[in-house]
Amino acid sequence: MLQAIELSKTYKGSVALNALNLNIDPGEIFCLLGANGAGKTTTINLFLNFVSPSSGAARINGLNVVDHPLETKKFLAYIPEQVMLYRNLTGVENLEYFTCLSGERYSRPQLLDFLAQAGLPAGAAEKRVNSYSKGMRQKVGIAIAIAKRARALLLDEPTSGLDPKASNEFSELLKKLSGTGAAILMATHDLFRAKESGTRVGIMKHGRMVAALRTEDLGHADLERIYLEHMHD
Amino acid sequence: MTWGIFRQEWLSLRREGAMWLVVALVASFAGYGVYNGARWTAFQTRTLASMAQEQHARIDKLRSSIRQFTGRGPDPRSAATVGDSTGAPYAVLPPAPLASFSIGQSDLYPYYFKLGLKSRSTITESDEIENPVNLLSGRFDLAFAIIYLLPLVILALTYNLVSGEKENGTLAVALSQAVALSALIARKVLFRALVLLLLVAAVSLAAIALPGVDLTRAGILPRLLLWTAVVLAYGSFWFVLAAGVNALGKSSATNALLLSGIWLVLVLLIPSSINLAAESLYPVPSRVEMIQAMREASIQANQKGSMLLARYWEDHPDLASPTGGAEGDASFTTYAVQMEVDRLTQPVFDHFEAQIASQEAVVNRFRFLSPAILAQKALNDISGTGVDRYRGFRASFDRFLTAWQDFFFRRISERALISSQELDSLPKFSYPDEPSGAILGRVLPAFAGLLIPVVAIGLYANRRLRNYPVAG
Amino acid sequence: MILEIAKKEARETFRDGRFRILAAVVIALLAVSLGLGWKRYSDVSRQIEAGRKATRQNWLTQGEKNPHSAAHYGVYAFMPRTPLSFVDDGVDPYTGVSVWLEAHKQNDFKYKPAEDSNTLARFGELTGAAVLQLLIPLLIILLSFTTFAGEREQGTLRQLLSLGIKREDLAAGKALGIAASLGMVLVPAALIGAGVLIFLGDPRVLPDTAARLVLLALFYLFYFAAILGTSLAVSAWSKSTRAALLTLLGFWIVNGLIAPRAFTDVARYLHPTPSAFDFAKMVAHDLENGINGDSSTAQRARELQQRLLKQYQVDRIDKLPVSYRGVSLQEGENHGDEVFDKRYSELWDDFERQNAVRRAGGIIAPLLPMRSLSMALAGTDFAQHRDFAVAAENYRRMFIRMINDDITKNAAGKDLYVRGDDLWQTVPEFQYVAPGVAAVLRANLGSIALLLLWTFAAVCAAWWSARRIEVL
Repeated sequence: MLQAIELSKTYKGSVALNALNLNIDPGEIFCLLGANGAGKTTTINLFLNFVSPSSGAARINGLNVVDHPLETKKFLAYIPEQVMLYRNLTGVENLEYFTCLSGERYSRPQLLDFLAQAGLPAGAAEKRVNSYSKGMRQKVGIAIAIAKRARALLLDEPTSGLDPKASNEFSELLKKLSGTGAAILMATHDLFRAKESGTRVGIMKHGRMVAALRTEDLGHADLERIYLEHMHD
Repeated sequence: MTWGIFRQEWLSLRREGAMWLVVALVASFAGYGVYNGARWTAFQTRTLASMAQEQHARIDKLRSSIRQFTGRGPDPRSAATVGDSTGAPYAVLPPAPLASFSIGQSDLYPYYFKLGLKSRSTITESDEIENPVNLLSGRFDLAFAIIYLLPLVILALTYNLVSGEKENGTLAVALSQAVALSALIARKVLFRALVLLLLVAAVSLAAIALPGVDLTRAGILPRLLLWTAVVLAYGSFWFVLAAGVNALGKSSATNALLLSGIWLVLVLLIPSSINLAAESLYPVPSRVEMIQAMREASIQANQKGSMLLARYWEDHPDLASPTGGAEGDASFTTYAVQMEVDRLTQPVFDHFEAQIASQEAVVNRFRFLSPAILAQKALNDISGTGVDRYRGFRASFDRFLTAWQDFFFRRISERALISSQELDSLPKFSYPDEPSGAILGRVLPAFAGLLIPVVAIGLYANRRLRNYPVAG
Repeated sequence: MILEIAKKEARETFRDGRFRILAAVVIALLAVSLGLGWKRYSDVSRQIEAGRKATRQNWLTQGEKNPHSAAHYGVYAFMPRTPLSFVDDGVDPYTGVSVWLEAHKQNDFKYKPAEDSNTLARFGELTGAAVLQLLIPLLIILLSFTTFAGEREQGTLRQLLSLGIKREDLAAGKALGIAASLGMVLVPAALIGAGVLIFLGDPRVLPDTAARLVLLALFYLFYFAAILGTSLAVSAWSKSTRAALLTLLGFWIVNGLIAPRAFTDVARYLHPTPSAFDFAKMVAHDLENGINGDSSTAQRARELQQRLLKQYQVDRIDKLPVSYRGVSLQEGENHGDEVFDKRYSELWDDFERQNAVRRAGGIIAPLLPMRSLSMALAGTDFAQHRDFAVAAENYRRMFIRMINDDITKNAAGKDLYVRGDDLWQTVPEFQYVAPGVAAVLRANLGSIALLLLWTFAAVCAAWWSARRIEVL
């Protein structure tokens, strides 16, 4: 579903991403770990076609994202670190707007249902988002993913800034989404969450993937040890 | 999708105070501008009405004094008196149908002349009374609101069209949906443009309810449509310019700076510079020297005096008086001298006209450099306050004056008297409104000059938006 | 400490490419406008000088004729241009350049330069004053809107204040730095202007001109300080640089574009002036029926005759030792003078009331008192024009009286009375001395007060908002 083939990006001489090869199947949750500037966000931006690759290709569902910019977004959902929404609109109105951009039209009850599925408290949907917490905004982002019946999900630092309860709720949602067969790529610092929710992890350093492991083969302590070994220069 | 985008724009802008402020500003600027224009037009109309009344009363009095003339005292039927004062009408240029929309040059150039037998330059030197500081400050009419202020309102609404969403973070979420950035931006621009430009058009049209705008006048509807079309074209330019600057991918603050700079250059600096260039290339001769030339001509002509009279008899042998009465000749000599002065000074005035015409030609050629100049000229032409209309009026009046003076000089030389029947058949002046077709012809280049950049910048913005730096 | 901050600010600004470009553009505009202004001044002054000599020649060489004919021939007076008009030409384009001084009539000034101009002249002339009053404030705003808001956004404000720097010192240092950057633009311009005046100007009026120039520079400095203070206050108050920029641009537009026109409209509404047609009617009515409307020409003539007969103890007009014609001509002049004084001073007082209303707008827009002062010091405001018009009128009355006195004394009993050079030469040439700078200052205390008030308030506002600045 999500494929990176020798994907590389260079900015003015400095290499942000170096020949990344990645294959994420439906139902998989792949966690990208690494320091700031290791290339995690660049990878996500490349899949979104927000930047174009210097070489190599990113494919979603077999389609190259550069050649098919709009098609590849049809079944893609993106939840950035800070889900920014239109402050003066309510949760429902934001959801309605973003889904309509993809060409979908849903009725009010349907939209409210998506928000409920995403875990947004019932009363909050009709309130303006400038009153939302980060967790609540994230849930609107997930509701967009649900509404789009997304086949691929790109998440950038989703649990940073969430308290343990919200973080746990997030994990549940993630499992539910992968249960529907979505391929999920998640960039994160959260080693605990990566072991808890992810099926595989990849460790990025200076733009290269230096390790790729299956979480079921690892214990929590193992993960941390391996991670620190790679980070050590 | 379009409908959804419109809805989001509407909700966002409506709930943010900015939109209401903008609406209030535009409505008040436009409304105040029309009100002001209407007051000026009403002033002109009142003045012309007073003149018509005075003329009517005077000619009635003349008619009755001719009828009651007993033969003693000054003869009211004397051609000189009738042609120069008692029977002389006013040649007026009434305000055009939409004159209250744009005051243009109408407060600077004369809009009426009193006919007479004096020298042409004396007759055509009539100025309206106005405080010179007022003339210096300019007028707050609807055209001012549209040319200067509307672009600023448009830029304030759109300078952060894309950059604002990016800085907000909503751009990333929006673009992760299956929508192309240029499609999204086009719809956002369209919505704001529709709201704003419809608002301005509505205020302009609502202005018809004001006094000073006569709905029953012929040709007002085509003019209103043309006016609205120019406003829409001009507004589109600024909207598309904002989109183009946004497409460059810079921050909101930089966009604001860039756009205000462009506004400054297009609306203030380029017009001043073209004016400067035109004045330097074709400087108008000195009026001081012109006065001197007229004095010299007058001295010359006076010296020739009786020689001129003789020449006139030679040119018009059928009028040569058999008796050669001295009195009639003396008064006629005055007019002959005057005609000679006019003839001698005509080249000076022609030179003036030629220089000013050359300046205007420069202006016309370079007006395509600035949408503000294009729009101002178009709006002036539509509301009948452009310089072309005043030149046309002046040229028409010059011809009529020549005809009037010829008629009366003939009568004076024949020593003929004007009867009261003849009073009714004296030549009459009228300057009809320009047909809408003619105005359309003159305004078409403005549309071309406005819409071609709109298309060009639009295409450019479209291309640039494809490479918009959404991340970083 | 303050100096350190100032030095850093100035260095940062000089290195900024955008400032360099802006500064270059502004200096170029100033140079061009001042240069062209000087050329215009010297050209027009030369023409006026030639015109003056020519009209005097015409007067002296008009040959032998009846003195009353000479009074009708009259002389022309030409409105002189002041040296500082090259900086600010004020209302010169909108006031006539010449006036015809003849018997029986107080004429209007004719030939406004603006009427001899192309249509772009109404967009605004590029004069030194326009650059100083409109563009330099924009430059100030662009240089200073990020002063506090920018540092807060970047986070460096927190760091600066954590070092123990006092907020007031920071404000003072930044203001000084910006002033230094501005100085780079303004000081050369001022020096060039001064140099032009000293080396090319008329040495006879140099002391007065130099004083005016110094005062002009001083008041412009106050104006710039007011703008700078406002800009710093807004920057400190605003939550973001974007808000600061928008607010300040809004202020600039109100100050430079909207307030002059809006207050002009208010002025016109509060103190309307009559149309030229109505004015002429009023004057004609007063001339015929007396100022109080209670006499008539015939009646006044009878009264005069009776008075003369009694005065000289004769019983018939033709027995008078003086020329009745001369006396009645002068009586007519006196009567006319009364009427003209009343009507013209009404009109001109209304103009000045309008100007006062407009200046009162200085509460909102410092440009209004600044413009008023600038024109007054440059000698191109309405008051100056009025002063000249009054002086010319007084000269006219004087020389007509001389002529009439001659007729009165010497023409008694003569049917044909002719004089020549000997009489013409006794009439002195018209000499005009413009009011000195002290008088100008006295007449403009209101504007000076408003400008100083603005500067004081702006500086206080900047100081106060800097003290209360919020770090986060």
